[in-house]
Amino acid sequence: MKREDLDRVVAALRDPTARFVQEARVRTCIVVNGAGQVLGQHGFTRSYQLVNIAALAAAAHAAAGALARITEAERWTHLHNAGERQQMFLAPLRTPFEELILVAIFDEASSLGMVQMFFDRLVAEVQALPEFRRARATSDASSFERDLEAGASRILSTDGPGEG
Amino acid sequence: MSNELFVQVLQRLSRVPGVRGAMIVDIVAGVPVVAEVAEGVQPAPVAALAASLFQRTARAAEGVAFGKLDTVQLEADAGHVVVADAGETAVVAVAERGAQLGLIRLEVHRAAEALR
Repeated sequence: MKREDLDRVVAALRDPTARFVQEARVRTCIVVNGAGQVLGQHGFTRSYQLVNIAALAAAAHAAAGALARITEAERWTHLHNAGERQQMFLAPLRTPFEELILVAIFDEASSLGMVQMFFDRLVAEVQALPEFRRARATSDASSFERDLEAGASRILSTDGPGEG
Repeated sequence: MSNELFVQVLQRLSRVPGVRGAMIVDIVAGVPVVAEVAEGVQPAPVAALAASLFQRTARAAEGVAFGKLDTVQLEADAGHVVVADAGETAVVAVAERGAQLGLIRLEVHRAAEALR
């Protein structure tokens, strides 16, 4: 995603993801694209956490997609990890432009069912955003690298993307 | 606990007149384990909200020293939702406004007892 599109998409995602965080009662949430660019986040205070989770989310998304294809499941809906104190929900967030990835971390204040329910609402809301129809894809290796840097520079700026 | 038992319990509950949905819900995850619902009743959101309602009410009951929560009954303009504790799961019934609530509560408790 190009830098000018990135700024617009980041701004458009801010309110829907903030509502998702509030309604689903998740502790932290991050939205990234397949290249690992951070498009929105709530609750993270350390940039290295964001960078690591963005990269791992993109990798998990790619691996889950490959697994789904191998097993002829075609599409996957979410990954859920239930830890002792915290749980993680990772799901593809489909938009008219590209497939994004949402990672939400929650505790006993919420549940998998609640997160799923409000995630479905978030997907519907994001799919209707006009910003995704206008965004343009990048195609070559050098622009991919530039895009990653654009995402990283946003994360490391004083007011991070979509901080709620 | 067998899936057959879940199905038996739900079939009995869903046969009660006025019941539009019966489900067994994982109370911690807030997701349906087994569900029998009429058209228009979405099991996943109902399970999520019923589990959340039950857990929050249980915490409130503990907070005022009422002990362990057994049943939560929600009344709205168009119907009722009854949620009963069944251990790791909960039995949920969604009923029309004019349904025989006493009978539904009885069947929900029977179902919960069978699952404990």
